[in-house]
Amino acid sequence: MQFRFEKRAEPSRTMLYVTPVAAVLLTMVLGAIIFTIIGYDGIGAVREIFFTPLTNSLKWQDLAVKAAPPLIIGGGLSIGYRANVWNIGAEGQYIVGGLAATGVALLTQDMSGWWILPLMGIAGIAGGMAYVAVPAFLRVRLKVNEILTTLMLTYVAVNILNYLVFGPWKSPTSFGQPQTVAFNDSQSLPYIIEGTIVQAGAPIAIIVALVAWFVMSRTMFGFQVTTVGAAPKAAAYAGFSANKTILAVLFISGGLAGLAGMLEAAGPFGRMVPQFPSNYGFTAIIVAFLGRLHPIGVLFAGVVLAITFVGGEVAQTTIALPNPAVGIFQAMMLFLLLAGDVLVRYRIVRAGATGGREAI
Amino acid sequence: MSGETQARLEMAGITKRFPGVLANDDVSFAIKPGEIHALLGENGAGKSTLVKMIYGIMRPDAGEMFWNGAPLKASSPKAARRLGIGMVFQHFSLFEALTVLENIALGMDGGLSSRALEAKVREVLNAYELSLDPHRVVSTLSVGERQRIEIVRALLLNPKLLIMDEPTSVLTPQEVTQLFKTLRQLASEGCSILYISHKLNEIKELCDTATILRGGRVVDECDPKQETSKSMAEKMIGGDLKAVAKGTERTFGEVQLAVNNLSLGRGHAFGTALKDISFSVHGGEILGIAGVAGNGQNELLAALSGEQHAEADGVIELCGRPIGTSEPSTRRKAGLCAVPEERHGHAAVPDYSLADNGILTARHRRELVRAGLIKNSASHDFADEIIAEFGVMATGSKATAGSLSGGNLQKFIMGREILQTPEVLVISQPTWGVDAGAAAFIHQALVDMAAAGSAIVIISQDLDELLALSDTLSVINEGKLSAPMAVENASIEEIGLLMGGVHGEPSLATKPEASHAVQV
Amino acid sequence: MSATLLIAMLITMIGASTPILLAALGELVVEKSGVLNLGIEGMMLTGAVVGFAVTYTTGNPWLGITIAALAGAAVSMIFAFLTLSLSANQVATGLALTIFGTGFSALFGSEYTGKPLELFKSIFPASLAEDPYLRLIFGHSPLVYFSFFMVFAVWWFLSRTRAGLILRAVGENDVSAHSIGYSVIGIRYGAVAFGGAMAGVGGACFPLLLTPQWVEGLTAGRGWIALALVVFAAWRPLRLLAGAYLFGLIATMELYTQAAGGVFRIIAPEMWASLPYLATIGVLVIISLGRSANANAPACLGKPFEAGH
Repeated sequence: MQFRFEKRAEPSRTMLYVTPVAAVLLTMVLGAIIFTIIGYDGIGAVREIFFTPLTNSLKWQDLAVKAAPPLIIGGGLSIGYRANVWNIGAEGQYIVGGLAATGVALLTQDMSGWWILPLMGIAGIAGGMAYVAVPAFLRVRLKVNEILTTLMLTYVAVNILNYLVFGPWKSPTSFGQPQTVAFNDSQSLPYIIEGTIVQAGAPIAIIVALVAWFVMSRTMFGFQVTTVGAAPKAAAYAGFSANKTILAVLFISGGLAGLAGMLEAAGPFGRMVPQFPSNYGFTAIIVAFLGRLHPIGVLFAGVVLAITFVGGEVAQTTIALPNPAVGIFQAMMLFLLLAGDVLVRYRIVRAGATGGREAI
Repeated sequence: MSGETQARLEMAGITKRFPGVLANDDVSFAIKPGEIHALLGENGAGKSTLVKMIYGIMRPDAGEMFWNGAPLKASSPKAARRLGIGMVFQHFSLFEALTVLENIALGMDGGLSSRALEAKVREVLNAYELSLDPHRVVSTLSVGERQRIEIVRALLLNPKLLIMDEPTSVLTPQEVTQLFKTLRQLASEGCSILYISHKLNEIKELCDTATILRGGRVVDECDPKQETSKSMAEKMIGGDLKAVAKGTERTFGEVQLAVNNLSLGRGHAFGTALKDISFSVHGGEILGIAGVAGNGQNELLAALSGEQHAEADGVIELCGRPIGTSEPSTRRKAGLCAVPEERHGHAAVPDYSLADNGILTARHRRELVRAGLIKNSASHDFADEIIAEFGVMATGSKATAGSLSGGNLQKFIMGREILQTPEVLVISQPTWGVDAGAAAFIHQALVDMAAAGSAIVIISQDLDELLALSDTLSVINEGKLSAPMAVENASIEEIGLLMGGVHGEPSLATKPEASHAVQV
Repeated sequence: MSATLLIAMLITMIGASTPILLAALGELVVEKSGVLNLGIEGMMLTGAVVGFAVTYTTGNPWLGITIAALAGAAVSMIFAFLTLSLSANQVATGLALTIFGTGFSALFGSEYTGKPLELFKSIFPASLAEDPYLRLIFGHSPLVYFSFFMVFAVWWFLSRTRAGLILRAVGENDVSAHSIGYSVIGIRYGAVAFGGAMAGVGGACFPLLLTPQWVEGLTAGRGWIALALVVFAAWRPLRLLAGAYLFGLIATMELYTQAAGGVFRIIAPEMWASLPYLATIGVLVIISLGRSANANAPACLGKPFEAGH
């Protein structure tokens, strides 16, 4: 029997919410099959990557830790993508945010006080914003494509990081290890739950998602961002400045990436090291799409991605699945989600049928 | 076969269905060799669908087509061209960045060398006395010249049937005369022509037979020379024509919109610069701006709406207040609302609900926003109000703009602006692609709005519409606006000359008389 | 600077440019057909790992290159299916392809870490390739000659053939091309497959032409630089050649300045390493300052075509 696509009169809300879930489920099925074919324990891989982090309560803390950065970054990116502004260099802004916070920490090395952490937070946000300012300026002034500039600057950020930790910022007591001194207590995030490794990142991520949701769904600013992305000419006609919107969303996404960098530096890392870039900035792109660019959707997607991160580490030790396999699972999720998008705008009908009653 | 001439093309019981629409319902007619056959109908009557099936772009759900008596099996445009069916589209299928010759080569299926092709092109140009430079890049050509590319492309195939889809909608009256000459010469050589239009006087002037479509069905087949424009129009629209009720004793108030020497550079590569435009509109007055597409209409609308800023504040005055460099929101707050030509993605966001589309322009005047927060219920109430007052066929304020038909969306957009009761309303192409019922409704709403004291500017390519609605008429050509004339004193010839930019074209002395007795 | 050092530098420069040039040539054709594939980096990584694995296993670099091209084309078909048949967002799908290629190459490359590979040998007699001056002509990898040939072939295809004209027409106005009767989707599938194959070969250049070993993420953003180059070249193959060599020069500078030491030491090696990326931004800025920045861009670039549905 032949099938074909037929355009829906309006996008299907049901499909909008069903397809991300279906993409995750289908990734498990296809992933199990593909990894079995190429000689791994496919079913074991899916079990360890997607389920063990949920069933093993020891892993829940890990989830909270791993979910925070892609959630915070993904929340910012999703706002930008709504406006059709493609900041794909959040990884670079995350690094520079972490570096800026580290800079404050190194300056306040011998000090203590409640004010140091907030100052590091501000430095992180400012660092991320400053790093996105160049692409932002180039985009609105010269119409230089932000996709390429933000990404190029990510490679530069890695080099800056290496330069600093191998050079001027190297700890004198590290026995030649490329790393800064460890942050002191006033420079490190407190544990919010006694006896766990959960720090301030997780609650901040939830607050970011809720604020983003309110802004995008209730305020004129959110309306403006969405309109600029959905119909630029209509936005101009309505009196929304495209350039101001582009600047705003780039600074928001850069600032949030920088904040995530600060939270990681002052949290799990506790110092600056060459291993600081953790691909969170790229994972956040998947989080944003899987969350349908909706702040609450991003919340769920962030947790799903964190599960795969934690599960990937589990699978590495339990069934010797190489870590890059997680990247393939994540890419598959994104592919399947994008493939599923077609169902939002089209319905599948039997060839020849036009009434749409046989529609699926 | 019997003694009478074999029909070149015969359509028998053609039916084509789209989701929710029956585009063609049991359509039958036949075209003889050398005949110029009109396919007459309103927008949405099913004309374009029908020719797409003849040309192999679509296939009918039921019915049969015959080509010289044998079943027509055109599975693709390529197959249709091989049979000798040529087509000139309403929206030209041209490639702006390529040359005339490259464009023609793309329309040919054979692998001719470019030199051989150029020789053949020049042959055709000479035979039909058409002027066109094969090496020019299309983006530098006028609309008339672009159409000539399409015609040459079709003629190179020695067509037995040439389909012309709304060929004159973008031409000046002078260019129309030239086109008709070419078509008559073709027909005299035995080529059949299927001429699709909704312009009655053109069909009376050119065509031998007319098949009239309404709502996808054939309502009549007639000899247009034996019919009056009015009788054909009634068949096309179904029912008596309802004239716009425009008060006879009209009085104007103060000047509410004044434009003083407005000049604007070209916004983009294919844009038109505005040159020294001045006009004023009084309260209660409707100013019509006629012109062929692409002569600066979009730029003028953008300059008035605020999407483009004028050089100085004083260039545009709203009730005496300078607003030439104000943002669109500021202008709206001050009382100037504008509606651009393109509905999807410009005047409205297709994926947005009607309530959100209301917020788009009415948020200030209708107070749909407070302290940066959207007032949800107020915006839904406003959308419902528009739906009720303007008879918009929609499931409610949550329906997306994209789900509405063209006419209903236009009614919604008009309602959104009119219910803001602006001092000045500027609107481009108010009834473009809109069905007759909705068009009549929109026309009446505009006239009523003027009667209530607003100043209205209508930019349109539809002369009939402008002649019916306007008090004053100007013509825009290459970014320049002609002096306003009272509509009672306007002559079609003069308007045609202005639309054609007066210069360059031959005298109009021989132009056939066109009657504009009917307003649709 | 001695002539032999200069020649050595030129040869290094040409080698360093070749992967970018090949990938960019492929993308140029893709974009001319109206499609924006941001997945070059992913396709290059796929080609790199497959090229390495096949060459390592069979010892035959010709086979390695061929399979790398096929692998690049194969993964590009994921992109083509999603964006062309299912009208998915081209930007997001391209990113997904890069994420996929990164994971794929890391997964399958890990077992080759530390294993030696032989570089693609010259096709000319050793005496010619070793002559200090004739080296400049005969001393390149076969992949370099292939890239020369492809620059010419792409130029000839786009400007001199009917198929090239049709491809340009599809990128210029997909709706018109469709109404005339050309298969917009089919032609774009072909272009994307070509782009994938070229990116695959470009990726395979890393182990077979530059450094004969497996390093994770060895393309280091060259796929993205290739994208920028297409813009820089204003979609013209010959300008692409010039642009690619400019980048080869910058990348070579990093190597030679480190070796040279002295005055170049003032700038940290990390900053030299950043130069290609900063230069890419610089080039994009210069292009956008020009009057006709994107006048030459295909009009339908990145826009989905939906008439088929």
